[in-house]
Amino acid sequence: MSSSRLESFLATIYVDADARARFLADPRGEATRAGLAAPEIESVVNIDRVGLEMFAHSLNHKKAQKAHGHQTN
Amino acid sequence: MNADRFGIGWRPRLAAGILSHLDRLDVVEVIADDYFHAARDQRRALRTLAAQVPITLHGVSLGMASTVPVEAKRLGQMVRLCEEVKPTFWSEHLAFVRGGGIEIGHLAAPPRTEATIEGALANLARAKRIVGVAPQVENVATLIEPPGSDRDEAAWLSAIIRNSESDLLLDLHNLHANALNFGFDAPEFIARIPIERVATIHLAGGKWIGPQGTQRLLDDHLHDVPDPVYELLAAVAARAPQALTVILERDGNFPSIASLLAQVDRAREAVARGRADSRALLPAREEAA
Repeated sequence: MSSSRLESFLATIYVDADARARFLADPRGEATRAGLAAPEIESVVNIDRVGLEMFAHSLNHKKAQKAHGHQTN
Repeated sequence: MNADRFGIGWRPRLAAGILSHLDRLDVVEVIADDYFHAARDQRRALRTLAAQVPITLHGVSLGMASTVPVEAKRLGQMVRLCEEVKPTFWSEHLAFVRGGGIEIGHLAAPPRTEATIEGALANLARAKRIVGVAPQVENVATLIEPPGSDRDEAAWLSAIIRNSESDLLLDLHNLHANALNFGFDAPEFIARIPIERVATIHLAGGKWIGPQGTQRLLDDHLHDVPDPVYELLAAVAARAPQALTVILERDGNFPSIASLLAQVDRAREAVARGRADSRALLPAREEAA
C-alpha cells in the first residue's frame, strides 16, 4: 500500500486548512473522491487526528520561521 | 582508533561565534538549500568557510522517501554546490516534502510501506548516480503517525539502509521525540537498526505542545539538548566502533555560543563514556566468543 496519490492526498490535507476541514468532516468520502485505493482509504479514515492537527499547526509555524530567515530542518 | 568529529550547524546568526571558535569544532554542517540560489558573494563566503573547516552539506527539500522520483534539477543544484565546496559528505532526510504539486514546506514522514522503501531506494540510487556520491540519510521526527504504514520505523529505516549505499545520519532527538510520542523504546530501536552503518549523529532539542493528555514532543531545534538524548548518544557510541560525526543543530532562540559549545563538549563526553563502556565490555565479549 501507498502510492503517489496517497502522498498527494496527505500533502493536501497537511497544508490546506479547507481541504483538511472537509476531510475531517467526511474522511471516507474525501478519500474516495481523491481516488485512493481501498486500503489507503481505510488508513486515512483511521488517521491520527491529534497528530494531523499538530503537524498542520507546526507547518504554519515553520512557514513563519522561513519567512524570517533560512531553511530549517 | 576512532576519529570522532564534533561540530555545529551553520546558521547566519551563529557565524561570528562559530568563526571565532573553530579550534573547538571539527566540522560545520551547512544547509545546502540555503545556497542553491545564493548570490555570488554568499557562495564565495561559503567557499571561504570550507577552506577553514571541513563542512558537510545537509539537504532539506529533495524528498528522498517518496514514490515520486526526485527531480534531476534539484539534484543538479546539489551537484554544483558539492563541486564548489567539496563537502566531507552530503545528506538528506528520509521524508516526502511535496505531492501532487503541493509543497508541504517541511519534512513529512511517508507511509512506512514497501512502496516507499522502493521509492527511497530508487531515489537514493538516482542521487548517487547524478551527484557521484550517495547521501547519508536521516530519520525524521513526526507529530503524526504516518497514515498507511504497515511496519514500524525501525523496520522501515533498516530496510532502506541495508539495501542502499547510504549510511545513516541518526538524529537522536528525532528518535527521542518519536519514541515518546508513539510509545516505543528508543534504546531498543538503536539495537534493531544496522548500527555499523551509522555515520553521523544529530543532536537538538524541542518542546511539548498540545493540550494536557494529548501532548507531543515537537522537535523544534529551539531548545537545548535534553539529558536523555546524551544518554542515547552514549548508547550509540558504546555499540558503534566506527568513527562518528556528531552535529549540534540549533535553528533559533539562540543562546550564547558558550552555551552551544558546552553542549558540543557534553556530546564529546557522552561519546567518550560510550566508548569506555564498550571497552569495558570487550573482555566479556572475547570470553563469550
